[in-house]
Amino acid sequence: MSRATKLHKASWCALSQLQQYRTKSNFSTSIASRNELFAQEQRRQRDAVGRIDKIEVRYLGLPEDVTLVMNNHISTPFNCAQHLSEGHCRRTALALIDGSVPWDMHRPLQESCTLQLLNFNVSEPHVVNKAFWRTCSFMLGAALTRAFKTEANLQLHSFPGPNIKSGSFIHDIVLETQNWQPSKSEMRAISAEMIRLAAQDLRIERLDVQQEIAQEIFKDSKYKSEQLPSIAQQNNGRVSLYRLGDHIDISRGPMVASTHFLGKCTVSAAHKLAEEGSAGAFYRIQGVALPCGFKLSHVAYGLLEERSQKLNPARLPHEPFEEQQQLQLS
Amino acid sequence: MVKFIKMNVSRAMSKRWAQQCVFNRIVTFSTKPTQHAAAVSEPAAEQKTVSTPAAAAAQPATTTPAPTTARKPIVPSNYRFIYPEFLPDPKVEWRNPIREKLERLDMLDRRRQIDLPEFYVGSIMAVTSSDPHAAGKTSRFVGICINRDRCGLRSRFVLRNVIDHQGMEVVYELYDPTIQKVEVLRLEKRLDDNLFYLRDALPEYSTFDENMEAEHLEEGAPVPVNDIKVVLRPRPWLERWERQNLLGVANIDQYIKDKHRKSAERVQKPWEKFDMMKQYRSTIPEEEQKEVFAEVHTELHSMELQRKRNKRKRTFVKPKQLA
Amino acid sequence: MNQADVTKLISQLRIAVRPSQRNLKNSDGPEGRLLKLRKTVTALMKHERIELYYNRADEARGYAELVRIISNGYNISSLHSIPIPKQLISNAIRHGDRHKATMELADYWLLEKQLVHKLFKVLVPRYENYNVSYTRMYRAPRDYPGMYYRQSVLELRGNPYPSLVMDQSHNRNLLHNVLLDEARKEFRRKKLADLVN
Repeated sequence: MSRATKLHKASWCALSQLQQYRTKSNFSTSIASRNELFAQEQRRQRDAVGRIDKIEVRYLGLPEDVTLVMNNHISTPFNCAQHLSEGHCRRTALALIDGSVPWDMHRPLQESCTLQLLNFNVSEPHVVNKAFWRTCSFMLGAALTRAFKTEANLQLHSFPGPNIKSGSFIHDIVLETQNWQPSKSEMRAISAEMIRLAAQDLRIERLDVQQEIAQEIFKDSKYKSEQLPSIAQQNNGRVSLYRLGDHIDISRGPMVASTHFLGKCTVSAAHKLAEEGSAGAFYRIQGVALPCGFKLSHVAYGLLEERSQKLNPARLPHEPFEEQQQLQLS
Repeated sequence: MVKFIKMNVSRAMSKRWAQQCVFNRIVTFSTKPTQHAAAVSEPAAEQKTVSTPAAAAAQPATTTPAPTTARKPIVPSNYRFIYPEFLPDPKVEWRNPIREKLERLDMLDRRRQIDLPEFYVGSIMAVTSSDPHAAGKTSRFVGICINRDRCGLRSRFVLRNVIDHQGMEVVYELYDPTIQKVEVLRLEKRLDDNLFYLRDALPEYSTFDENMEAEHLEEGAPVPVNDIKVVLRPRPWLERWERQNLLGVANIDQYIKDKHRKSAERVQKPWEKFDMMKQYRSTIPEEEQKEVFAEVHTELHSMELQRKRNKRKRTFVKPKQLA
Repeated sequence: MNQADVTKLISQLRIAVRPSQRNLKNSDGPEGRLLKLRKTVTALMKHERIELYYNRADEARGYAELVRIISNGYNISSLHSIPIPKQLISNAIRHGDRHKATMELADYWLLEKQLVHKLFKVLVPRYENYNVSYTRMYRAPRDYPGMYYRQSVLELRGNPYPSLVMDQSHNRNLLHNVLLDEARKEFRRKKLADLVN
């Protein structure tokens, strides 16, 4: 038993070293500069708060309903949970403001409100489930960035709104090659990347920025730069960005608090959608995941995996946007 | 030679079969409703026992109990008394399911070669074993079985007799290949589990005639319980018989003094009879016993039938020398 | 090498049983250990859910299950009697009630005498058709800083309190249930389409 674990550790070390080398080579100036800009903007927004006002946050839930006095534009629902218990901090995936507005755990509160802390086992978990599905797509983008070599010339396109009933979460990418047939081991490697992200327990932070700063951040990415004007238009000239480790992406809706909520995960299929001429082709990477704490037999999970391999009929990335479809971009 | 090959073949086949059954462990708890447990063990018995006749291909046609399609063989509930050595060791650290399965197969193999009769502690037996230094290369020992010990291929019993005023005990391993014949001269039980107190009893209770003839017991009759009460010699004794709650000793009160009573009281553990987990750990649970005996039942039953047939044959044919 | 004791025929315990017993520390030695365990088993029968240290809970669990099994009337045949076939639970409750050895055991283990009645009248019928263990044991949070011993919760199955484990099979809105329900619908749709064709 110990010899097996030693072997496992040795291979794990080798893998992680390889990984680090890869990320170092991938850690091009673009990612570094992106993160620098993101951090800068975060600091600027924090400094722009000025005089700290107090707000009353009425927490409803277990163990009892309490009123917390928190700092406006600084305190997050996570800080409120810290006043309650460590268990609350660890188990809460999403916050619900005023009984209806889903809110990221690490997003500063903006006014006095009622707060509910949601996890995956509440009686009405629709919002949390959607947030989880969205986060899975987001994490898939991060995992793909880490998994692919620079030679593959991976470019993340976008991910459509979460549709749990379709059976899979999606991330659309553009690869330089036109005939990528993913093998089982490659899919497993990407799934392993997802699990690794989950194990690192990375906080997912949100930042609302002006369109110019977003343009600056995504100047290296062709597809993101194209999408930004329409997104900003929908949102009063502001764009909501999410950061996970060193991966930044654009998304509308709330995400769960941390990557550790990912339990079982399988990246199941990659479908070629369309060709991009010389630039390569569009691919749709699909996967299925369960939150941590959900036990499913391998037979049942196998059924879900099988179903997630079918091409997801969500909006295709290369088709021209329509008004309604733009709204769905999240 | 033939025997060796056959045993090898059956051993190889049994090892392969055992390997295939590696995950077919003895179930730790029954996942089937209790009412159906009996019904389930029966087809299991059929399944498992079908393979053992297949393994021993060179066997003479044993007429397995011809069950009609409706009736299935039910393992008799007294098998645990007749064949206690088939049950595994209650000590969990010494358990090994594959070794136990293989041992059971080997035990059945041995039983096909030699008739090992049913006997209990208190039965008078005669064992003929091979002895390189004896005149006819065999030696026969008659004695009363005072103890049955151990399990599997190592199971043993101790025979005691007094020969020329000298008490002697011989330990025989039941599955020892050097044993040529085991006869039960008188089949009976005693009131105690072991008769070690015979060592401190008067010699007449351990003396048995070497040329004793086998006593016949009716077929199907229950094994008689000899409730004889043995008279002990005066102290010193080999063990503290007064502390062992022996039922088969007559005059123990004669030799108990107050000091014995007092020291016994100090050592008493009256709570042990209520310590159910201790009792559980010293037994094999019922479901496991069923599984074990279901495995070996068909073979043993066919051997029993053969034995009965042979007995009848023997009593029938008895040529007498005239003049 | 030992030989298994065949005088008693005990049914298989449906819990994990350690190969050797834990000699729980007690100033009165083995007798005190059994007294402590008797108190634990009595409390378990009385309250049906108790919180205590892990080691004692694990020991008491075996005894509690055996008390139940034996009170169900599994035969404790002696060496010399004709072996009684294992009785069905319905007759066995009667047998359990009358059998002297069973009553003695129940009397020894349950320190409060009304619990003997509860055992035979309430618990035995409850566990008549069970093919799982009669008790459940959970690990409880440990008191840090402080007495950092392993804690556990020991309860009888079918107790009236709300469940300690989250039952994730009934809320159809949970993520895994949503996915499974959709998969099932799609399967049925496909099957219907195949049938139609």
